[in-house]
Amino acid sequence: MTASLTIENLSAHYGTTQVLKDLSLSVAAGELVSLLGSSGCGKTTTLRIVAGFLQPTSGKVRLGDRNLTTLPAHARDIGLVFQNYALFPHLTVLDNVAFGLKQRGVAKPDRIKRAMAMLERVGLAPFADRLPVALSGGQKQRVALARALVIEPPLLMFDEPLSNLDAKLRIDMRVEIRQLQRANGTTSLYVTHDQEEAFSISDRVAIMNAGRILQLDTPEVLYRKPANAFVARFVGFENLIRMKVIGRDGATVIAEAAGGTRLHLSQDAFGSIKDDFVLATRADGLVVRRDGEGIPATLGTRTYLGRAYQYKCQAAAGEITANGPLFDPPEAGAQAVLTPVSEQCCILDPED
Amino acid sequence: MTKLAKWGLPLPATIAVVVLLIIPVALTIATTFGEAKGAFSTYAAFFNSGFRRAVLFRTLEVALITTALSLVIGFVTAYVIAQMPGRLKSIMIIAAVFPLLTGVVVRSFAWLIILGKNGIVNDTLMSIGLITEPLSMLYTEGSVIVAMVYLFVPLMILTLTGVLEGIPRDLTEASASLGAKPIPTFLQVILPLATPGLIVGAVLVFTGSFTSYATPQLLGGEKQMMMGTFLYQRAMVTFDWVGASTVAAIMVVITIAIVSIMSRIARRLNPMAV
Amino acid sequence: MPTRVHPLLGAFAALVFLFLLAPLVIIVGASLSDTTYLTFPPQGLSLRWFANIFQIEAFRRTAITSLQVAFLGTALSLLIGVPAAYALNRYRVELPRWLSTLFVLPILVPEIVFGFSLLKSITIGSGLPVFPSLILGHALLVLPYSVRVVGASLASFDFSIEEAAMSLGCPPLRTFLTVVLPNIQAGVIAAFILAFITSINDVSVSVFLTGPGISTLPIQILAHMEQFFDPTIASVSVLLMLVTVGVMAIIEATLGLTFLTK
Repeated sequence: MTASLTIENLSAHYGTTQVLKDLSLSVAAGELVSLLGSSGCGKTTTLRIVAGFLQPTSGKVRLGDRNLTTLPAHARDIGLVFQNYALFPHLTVLDNVAFGLKQRGVAKPDRIKRAMAMLERVGLAPFADRLPVALSGGQKQRVALARALVIEPPLLMFDEPLSNLDAKLRIDMRVEIRQLQRANGTTSLYVTHDQEEAFSISDRVAIMNAGRILQLDTPEVLYRKPANAFVARFVGFENLIRMKVIGRDGATVIAEAAGGTRLHLSQDAFGSIKDDFVLATRADGLVVRRDGEGIPATLGTRTYLGRAYQYKCQAAAGEITANGPLFDPPEAGAQAVLTPVSEQCCILDPED
Repeated sequence: MTKLAKWGLPLPATIAVVVLLIIPVALTIATTFGEAKGAFSTYAAFFNSGFRRAVLFRTLEVALITTALSLVIGFVTAYVIAQMPGRLKSIMIIAAVFPLLTGVVVRSFAWLIILGKNGIVNDTLMSIGLITEPLSMLYTEGSVIVAMVYLFVPLMILTLTGVLEGIPRDLTEASASLGAKPIPTFLQVILPLATPGLIVGAVLVFTGSFTSYATPQLLGGEKQMMMGTFLYQRAMVTFDWVGASTVAAIMVVITIAIVSIMSRIARRLNPMAV
Repeated sequence: MPTRVHPLLGAFAALVFLFLLAPLVIIVGASLSDTTYLTFPPQGLSLRWFANIFQIEAFRRTAITSLQVAFLGTALSLLIGVPAAYALNRYRVELPRWLSTLFVLPILVPEIVFGFSLLKSITIGSGLPVFPSLILGHALLVLPYSVRVVGASLASFDFSIEEAAMSLGCPPLRTFLTVVLPNIQAGVIAAFILAFITSINDVSVSVFLTGPGISTLPIQILAHMEQFFDPTIASVSVLLMLVTVGVMAIIEATLGLTFLTK
């Protein structure tokens, strides 16, 4: 019943602006993939094209062995959960959930039975006869979810489903969505701008910018090994230091940053290093020491994070954020050395 | 200070409505009960007269037909407008606003030129040889209805365009995503959500056409007397003020009854309110 | 993104717009006819019927009366309607519900009944002269626009701005004029325009209140039509349509015409 989703070379335009650029993506059967990016990156456009609300300029959308590209929205058989829930205000909770079954010609007793069963699963059976206005935001979202699931669609899509809920409810709901999706094994495409939400709920996440997918990977890989500088910044790498190789000695590479700072990097740890590269780290990936090998810097404003002290440092290569020890932390204004921890650093291609 | 502002600011308008509207209309209605022959004698006289009954029924009939036609024409047109892309939509709205803001006399007059003995319809029919003698289309119930529909369709279009634009696009998309084809989406989602608006539009058109004066005067004349023209004739031609007041009272009662019943129904059908 | 419209529906809408606009085009055509009777298409082009309007003194006189009545009536309705709208929004929870219903009564009561009742009790009953009766009648007729349209823009006005101004030492009247009024300007303009055009076009109330020597343009047109059926009426109608065009231009420039669908 569930099927894989394949998007091939999708391009889309609004007037003369191109909002999707040759985008390809496949979601395996039963997998949940998120499209993550800031507003205007093309994630919602992608979802609306798959749903059939927008026509792409070129490209194909396939669900299993069905080509959806030219099918009207109502013939696509995709469950969709909207940001604003989009519950029919004139229908009761039960009729909302039964709506899709009615369109499929399911007989009344059967569709009521199935809709009620679905409402039981989302814990809203006692509210079956209410109108949507009488529900809270979280309840509305559960109804929307039940309504999309009850038609047992081969593909389920979510358009920022949690963005109208408060923080606590958001966390509860994403666990609930994940459980229901896992239990049904429904292939899912999930659109969000919230990194934590995408990472916590997805099998894989596609990070998008300007109509392209920049990296599609598991949350773990994205978090630890971003493939390029944009993704690195997006997942929280504060420091991107441009470096040039000035000498090689076996597996060790001697690289120099602006201002003449030199580092010895091991290709055993980073893989082969090109002549021109970016060293990317989070604040945790640089250790603040009083002396030793590393990037010399003047320590600036110190803030307490609980697990460490964080410093804004001035180095010859620019401003760097690094974490220092909890015990006997250096004062702001002190001279120090920032040593990269190779497991927490990435070697990336320069952006330009 | 606040208390003074709270009651003082609305006071002039309140006095104006009470002195210029409520008291005069109440006096008009009161005179109908002051007859020597008994409190309801003027109403008995009204309903015992075949002519007057015919005026009332004709007015109700014209108003109902006008309302029904305006609803259908207005709803379909508004539906099309609501689907149009921005520029075309503005042009269509302008095309509906222009007649709306043009006066009732001008708009009724147009139909005199079109339907008259030497009007366009007769000229055209004669020149293609369908008829040899001009038809008398003026001063018929049909001519009044055509002009009334013409009068009220723009109002209906604008009211219903607003109503349809107020239905979130999400809902029609949700309907489609759940497998509803365009016609079921229209019948099961759009129509129920538009119903309160349709009722409001219908009430506007019904009361407007039921109480109209200029259009029946120009296109119905003496032959197709309606409540508005009859009231005027009683008051200003025969100076039968009690008779005119009786007509006025009947109009007020019917109008207020329709408005209050229908707006109550509309409110009950409105799913947005609990 | 707009969805596609079924061609049949599109064709139907096109016919509706033909129905709406063709009669007005016909009037324009008829006004240009060189004949002494109304006809369309015009036979021989001429502006003589436009010239004729200005030879008929009654048209000029009643046009001026109509403008005066519309102007003064609308101004009066705003003068009493804006404070009422303000109070209804500012003290919404404290004022009784029936008060806002009161101000829509002029729409609820049939115009013709209102006109007749006003004639009986004000013009004849109280002996008020025709001109002030007309102004009072029109002011009341358009009062709902003043209260409701201005009220709609007050409904979205944040009254804490007003409190801020007062806390900074601005007295109440000046606060209203310098802080509130500029923020509800669009509503006031809209109310003025809608009220003005309603007043200019009114027949049902004016037909009772006009008297010997004083009449409004629509009533004069009706009277003229009873005696003559020449293209003069078409020419006057064209001039009135030009007024409509002007009004629409003002609405478009100030609020945008889509305002009318709200």
